[in-house]
Amino acid sequence: MFQNFRLSMAWLHTWFGLVLGFVLMVVFFFGSLSVFDREIDRWAIPSSRFAPQPMPSFDTILKPAFERMQPDKDAIALLDGRVDGPLPERFEVVRSWGAYTTHRDPVVSVFAGFEVPRAKDPDETVFASHALDPRTGAVLPQGQLRVGSEFFYPLHYSLHLKWKDLGTWIVGFSALMMLAALVSGVVMHRKIFREFFTFRRHKTVQRSALDLHNLTGVVALPFHFFFAFTGLVIFAGIYFPVAHTQLHALHELHERVEARETGLPHERAGVAAPMASVDAMVAQAQRRWQAKGMAGDVGFVYVSHVGDANAYVSVYRAGTDRVALTGEGVHFKATTGELLREDPPRSAVDSVNEFLTGLHLQHFRHWLLRWLYVLGGLLGCVCIATGFLFFVEKRKQQHAKAGSAGSRVVDALAVTTVTGMLVATMAMLVANRLLPESLADKGDWERTVFWSAWGLAMLHAFARGGALARARMNPAWREQCGLIAAGAVTAVVANAVTTGDHLGRTLAAGYWPVAGVDLSLLATAAVAILAAGRLGRRAKATATGHSPAVLATAEARHG
Amino acid sequence: MVEPTWLLTGAAVSAVLGFGWLALAMDTHWEQVHGDAAPPPSLARALRLAGALALAASLGLCLGADHPTMAVLVWLMLLAGGAVAIAATLSWQPRWLRALWPRRVAAQ
Repeated sequence: MFQNFRLSMAWLHTWFGLVLGFVLMVVFFFGSLSVFDREIDRWAIPSSRFAPQPMPSFDTILKPAFERMQPDKDAIALLDGRVDGPLPERFEVVRSWGAYTTHRDPVVSVFAGFEVPRAKDPDETVFASHALDPRTGAVLPQGQLRVGSEFFYPLHYSLHLKWKDLGTWIVGFSALMMLAALVSGVVMHRKIFREFFTFRRHKTVQRSALDLHNLTGVVALPFHFFFAFTGLVIFAGIYFPVAHTQLHALHELHERVEARETGLPHERAGVAAPMASVDAMVAQAQRRWQAKGMAGDVGFVYVSHVGDANAYVSVYRAGTDRVALTGEGVHFKATTGELLREDPPRSAVDSVNEFLTGLHLQHFRHWLLRWLYVLGGLLGCVCIATGFLFFVEKRKQQHAKAGSAGSRVVDALAVTTVTGMLVATMAMLVANRLLPESLADKGDWERTVFWSAWGLAMLHAFARGGALARARMNPAWREQCGLIAAGAVTAVVANAVTTGDHLGRTLAAGYWPVAGVDLSLLATAAVAILAAGRLGRRAKATATGHSPAVLATAEARHG
Repeated sequence: MVEPTWLLTGAAVSAVLGFGWLALAMDTHWEQVHGDAAPPPSLARALRLAGALALAASLGLCLGADHPTMAVLVWLMLLAGGAVAIAATLSWQPRWLRALWPRRVAAQ
């Protein structure tokens, strides 16, 4: 089909890169934001703007909060058709309680899983989850969206397409093809070392876009490779669902054997029993970690078979000081506080797996590495965006002559996924600050604003695409850059006005979660203004007949 | 015991320096920076060696600051940052890189 290997690789890289690039752009950008998801949460929910707290007392703070929890209407709606007969008013049998926090969280995430009576699948569980103020045990207002960890982060790996995990499958397929694109990209690249540092920004758009594409792809190659790969590892259980399909019986048997070996009960005893002090168990777990030379904070407390004689409590260590997501779990009999089991040292395979997933999920405390991850993610975005630009630039003259709409459509989609995505993000942050706190379902409104803004950005990109027919640049690029800048500045001002936490105050107090989001927004605005200015000058020059390359050289001489 | 912050700052500087020297060892970039044809072969070799050593030193400093598993990640990402910084400098202000290998005025 192709004359040589390099050409076949080029075909693969071009077409898979184009189609999946739109998905990968979303994955890279919201992945970059997810590095600071907890900080974006602080910005979006002013009542959670306080210092990170350690795991609160289970007996006095968490237990009463857990006992009040019940699944909300959305969770119950998901049970539709999965139960024979009516649903109960109140879910009585609690399968599990969990509380989770990290060194970046002022609030603690709590969840409770309930048995569903008369469910078709006896393992069916319905969940309730909240964010809790660990100082008082008060639940943060329901209906408010933690924009970072509940919206941007799931968008990064699932595109918010929940139906049959479709989004996760699309992202996984894109990640797999991205690995292929990285390999084929390296094969296609003739001068990978000779042009390692090359960015000829004064040459034609086509040339400089390709330079930037190669540069950002090559220098961050280890990052791109590892993140695509570890992302797949994290969701291996979804992509290879053997444990719950072909091997269901074996999986169940394995769980039972494991329960027998570990002494952690697999089933409820069916006999109600009260719980001993969990705080004492937590203290004992911490003493055991200290004895192993790994003193640390508690990251996760989990109670299985709540309220039953077989209940047990698992205490896991926070992974603040290491890459690997290890828990060093210690398990206790809930009724007596007796030690049931301490997790043994990990096998080599487990260690590698935990390193790979930990590398991607980054629960460690290392601010420099966090920012370097943002850099890596943004380099990925530049790589994909310049890939689109190169595709369009290479073909637009030819398509304009032939009257084909190909490059016009690709360009409009590129505008939508590059600047349009930022417009939507800014719109969401502005909506977050302007919608009243008391609004019921405030979070749903914010989601609606996000998707609507993105939809409008797409319409705008297509509506302004006529320029491509004259082999010019789509003015939507410039106009949306202006919108991004306006949105970012509005968000910063709105934050200052609605919460009083302007930069003067947050910087003086060293409250970096909010100051950092504000400063990043201002930096985004600055870049967007710069880009809009450049594009404006170029458009004018093209209109008066100068080629962009000539303009750029002139600019450089006077510059 | 040196503060990790200083070690990491050193690692970042070493990564930038290392890539700067590696770039200067290349004919096109030498010309961009110094305005004449190419570095003499012996100098190119020396620059390449200095570059490689600086990148290795960067890894060493990362290892001094963090647990090895973390240090490797930090180093790989610093390499990406350093390479982008040098590429951007070569594109906007190539002359700044003269600071990395100033030539005697007589040679011009």
